[in-house]
Amino acid sequence: MLALGPIAFASPWILLALALLPILWRILRVIPPAPRQLRFPAIRLLYDLRQQEQTPAKTPWWLILLRVILATLIILGLAHPLLNPSGRLPGSGPMVVVVDDGWAAARDWPQRQRTLADLVDRAERDQRPVFLVTTSAQTGETPARATGPLRAAEARGAAQALLPKPWGTNRKATLAAVERLPIQGSAHAMWLADGLDDPDAKALAERLQRFGSLTVIQDGPRALPRVLRPPERRAGDLVAVAERVDPSGEERRWVRALGTDGRLIAREPLVFADGENRATSRFNLPTELRNDIARLDIEDETTTGAVVLLDERWRRRPVGIVSTTGFDASQPLLDAHHYLDRALSPFSEVRRGGATDLLKRELAVLALPDVGQMAPNDRDAVDSWLKDGGVVLRFAGPLLAGGGDDLVPVRLRRGDRALGGALSWAKPLPLAQFDPGSPFHGLSVPPDVLVSRQVLAEPALDLGDKTWARLVDGTPIVTAEKRGQGWLILVHTTSNAEWSNLALSGLFVEMLQRIVGLSRGIAGSSGDAALPPLETLDAFGRRSAPPPGVLSLPRGGVDATVGPHVPPGYYGNDLARVALNMSSDLKALAPLDRLPSGVLHGAYVGAREVDLRPWLMTAALLIGLADVLIGLALRGLLPIGQGAAAAMLALAVFVAVPRAEAQSFGQTPSFSQMPRAQVQRAPTSGADAFAMSAALQNKLAFVRTGNAQLDEVSRAGLQGLAGVLVRRTSVELIEPMAVDIEADELAFFPLIYWPITPEQPLPSSQAIGRLNIYLRNGGTILFDTRDQADIPTEVGGGGPGAQRLRQLVRGLEVPPLAPVPPDHVLTKAFYLLQDFPGRFAGGTVWVERREGSSEVSPVIIGSNDWAGAWAVGPNGRPLFAVVPGGKPQREMAFRFGVNLMMYALTGNYKADQVHVPAILERLGQ
Amino acid sequence: MAVTERLQHRAEQLAAALPPLLVASERVAATIAQGVHGRRRVGLGETFWQFRRYQPGDPVRMIDWRQSAKTQAVFVRETEWEAAQSIWLWRDASPSMHYRSRKDLQDKSEHADMLVLALASLLIAAGENVALLGTGHLPTSGRMAYNRFCHAVLAEVTETEGLPAIELLPRHGHVVWVGDLLAPLDDIKARMAAYVSRGVHGHLVQVLDPAEETLPFKGRIRFQGLEGEAPTLIGRTDTVREEYAERMTTHQAGLKDLARIFGWSYAVHRTDRPPQTALLALYMALARIAGS
Repeated sequence: MLALGPIAFASPWILLALALLPILWRILRVIPPAPRQLRFPAIRLLYDLRQQEQTPAKTPWWLILLRVILATLIILGLAHPLLNPSGRLPGSGPMVVVVDDGWAAARDWPQRQRTLADLVDRAERDQRPVFLVTTSAQTGETPARATGPLRAAEARGAAQALLPKPWGTNRKATLAAVERLPIQGSAHAMWLADGLDDPDAKALAERLQRFGSLTVIQDGPRALPRVLRPPERRAGDLVAVAERVDPSGEERRWVRALGTDGRLIAREPLVFADGENRATSRFNLPTELRNDIARLDIEDETTTGAVVLLDERWRRRPVGIVSTTGFDASQPLLDAHHYLDRALSPFSEVRRGGATDLLKRELAVLALPDVGQMAPNDRDAVDSWLKDGGVVLRFAGPLLAGGGDDLVPVRLRRGDRALGGALSWAKPLPLAQFDPGSPFHGLSVPPDVLVSRQVLAEPALDLGDKTWARLVDGTPIVTAEKRGQGWLILVHTTSNAEWSNLALSGLFVEMLQRIVGLSRGIAGSSGDAALPPLETLDAFGRRSAPPPGVLSLPRGGVDATVGPHVPPGYYGNDLARVALNMSSDLKALAPLDRLPSGVLHGAYVGAREVDLRPWLMTAALLIGLADVLIGLALRGLLPIGQGAAAAMLALAVFVAVPRAEAQSFGQTPSFSQMPRAQVQRAPTSGADAFAMSAALQNKLAFVRTGNAQLDEVSRAGLQGLAGVLVRRTSVELIEPMAVDIEADELAFFPLIYWPITPEQPLPSSQAIGRLNIYLRNGGTILFDTRDQADIPTEVGGGGPGAQRLRQLVRGLEVPPLAPVPPDHVLTKAFYLLQDFPGRFAGGTVWVERREGSSEVSPVIIGSNDWAGAWAVGPNGRPLFAVVPGGKPQREMAFRFGVNLMMYALTGNYKADQVHVPAILERLGQ
Repeated sequence: MAVTERLQHRAEQLAAALPPLLVASERVAATIAQGVHGRRRVGLGETFWQFRRYQPGDPVRMIDWRQSAKTQAVFVRETEWEAAQSIWLWRDASPSMHYRSRKDLQDKSEHADMLVLALASLLIAAGENVALLGTGHLPTSGRMAYNRFCHAVLAEVTETEGLPAIELLPRHGHVVWVGDLLAPLDDIKARMAAYVSRGVHGHLVQVLDPAEETLPFKGRIRFQGLEGEAPTLIGRTDTVREEYAERMTTHQAGLKDLARIFGWSYAVHRTDRPPQTALLALYMALARIAGS
């Protein structure tokens, strides 16, 4: 090995061949290039020129240079150059490689494997045997394993087959395995540590050091994995706690909540403050969504320690409280629901309502506080739901004591038993300890819980089996019966503090939790069967089928410790599964820094050794190809000139430059990298085009009636009006527009002119709806019946236009109408007017009848055919004569149009009294 | 029937190939026709030449009565002298003509064909009788003669020899040889002598590629002939360039001498020059001979 800075040669003696290069240069210069082939007609004249000097043409210098470079590359390639050579291993004798392959190593496992492969390569070059020791047990095995001595090829295979395990390391067992290694003399130990401390780490390091020397390779505490603890339920939210080793620096991560099918349900920030090694993130989700969460993990964290599987224990179960009376807010402490509500809401979602209403939605527990006789249909609904697996929790009370129905687990005596009343010598009794068979077993019974009143069960043979809780005198206080798939539970006292103070105690909350826990899910798994593995996680936190050798969880094995026999994952069956998480019983993480002195340290990061031989050989091959092409070109066998040959040479050199090796190891794609739902741009449709043309500038609009002639009159009329408006006022209008009330969006127009013809088709209900929206949002429609007839108020009268109008506006939200009052804004919005002639004069104009309203009348109805009066031809002359006639009438018609437009555009601020004096003055009064 | 169809098919094929070359040659011919007019001599012919005062002795039927009626004097109408010559054209169709040294040049054969066609077009327009040497056709005149000539030129005939075969032509005929004339001088001399012995006048047009005059190549080259000559390897072509040019000059001088001895004309046309120049020179030479 010959090292030159960052490059070393594995076979340096081949470099001696470089001395031959000058000789090669000479030889190449002497050898003439191959002749070009050329066809030439006048060849006869060339025949006798041979006596001329035969000094051959020289090969071009750049071609010789290229060939010398080619030879140099081949020589260098054969010398096997290495970039960033790793150098020799320290020490002598075999190499002992201890690999931490617990869950924490999964964080940068590809890097660890590369480091391991490098070590094996170096051991191979030094021809030293390798002992490979892993610190975690294989699945189903207890002890840590040591293999060796291995030859390099075997060690490489074993190293490549290594995978991190989804449980922790067992360094004590590793220590024992190391003790048994058959090593005489010295050895060098390499420990690829995962960076986490445990009580046996120091002993292991000391033992390894005794082989001769020890190098510990580990990353700094910042690179250690983050751990996500199983979340807690706090006030209805899921609160996940994450931990890290190094508390310095602020760190922002994300916690993802994924559903059973892997879809992202929620993503919450996780912020480690500077100096803190704990951080929380809180998920506040609707119950249905929250119950879908099957997995929480820290984004971009690739260990199983950052993954928490959720099962039924984390689900919020909705509890319905049947409440027929409604909540009495004035005296909550006396209310039968209040204590239930307070006790249940921290861990369940509480709903109130009638039994039938509550059962329409998914429900876990139905609580009935002191209901006597249920209504028959309610009772049937509750009964069938109960038999399908619901849990019904009833409380006794005066109503039940007065006479109940059969929806109780035991037969009850009528009336109740009072303890400790004024006329009784018995004292209120506390609860007895719970029997082992009871679901409440294990809860501690506070001595100050006293029951002073209760309902009594009729004695029966199975009463003892049905009893879940008793008073100290043996009286059942909680009885239950399994009906169908579900449970019917009766608490023989009230759910408020009236009959006992049970509802005030913490025991009440715990009992309710147990009862809610009974509901579907846990209820199914409460059998005695062991829980078989369903789906396990590997060290990277990926779900997989359980590997062979995984044991079933014993009953109640929720608290089992993750280990080689029970990897984290789901246990149970599809109906009821229990999540076993690695992080639930993980001790607090500590960095591995208590190492004995004299230990060499290394890191996983660092320049990798790169073998340059293949690159050099590839470059040589490419240059060789280029040389062949250039040779052909120089002999005229390629249809290109010398310039192109030079260009090709440049290209060949360029291509031969080795590029940096792209490194991409299997990073699991995170959700943040996934493409978000693409917002598709809707193609510009006809509706868009209409909106574009309608919205960009103010314009008048008229309703297309279907009668082409009438539409043309309307267009001409509005055109004429627009001309007048532009000339006389500051209103800027462009060409009027025809709108189709069935299809077009109306919101762009301040005023729509709607001439009525008797043959006009009735608008569809959608069009009516859209017109209503238009009117409600401040639009104005001017209906023009054009029949010069007064529109009477009573139904059935009027001209044909008025009759059709009535049919047209059926369904339209037309407000109550009135003839334009003399002080209406229409009379003074721009001009002072009192009548509103069009082609015809004298017709009544109707507007909304509203006193003191500050809004524009949505509907204006008249019969004067204003468009006819406004209509001007292309030569600027009016199209129609006005009746009875005269320029003043047409002028007044235009003035009405101006007032109308002002009214529609500016509203009715002119109604303000502020203007009255000025107007009076102008009127000369 | 089948024969007719085949002919027709062949005619169509030819027609498809004709236009570009014909158009080119017609264009070349047109530029020449503008510069040269007739014989400019009074003689037998159909084209009006001049009116002249009647002189005693003139045949009475030469009097142009219409012209005489306009004036007092009597005029005789004279026509331009138009004597039909028989001219045999030949162009080299050997493989050595299919050569060009650069992509932007045309083959020598293309230039030769164009020259021959354009010349034929001009001659036929001037009323001469034209035939392609080697086909056995008799010289004819008129549009049909031109068509036949075109077909004969464009027929894909490949000669192996770079010189025309010896044919028995009538005395005082004219021949025009267009080719690269790279054959040994003795061969050319023998062939010319055979024609001259029968009193045939001739014109030599040597069509050369520029590379054949200058030998612009460099380096080590193995030259190969186009007509099966033995290849030759030149070590450094640039060193023999001058000697080659000298040889080519000698060859051309030899040709010139031959032409002078036999009373023929000799011209050189290079394919990087426009064919009009060569055609003009050729036409002038022909006109001089025809006129003398």
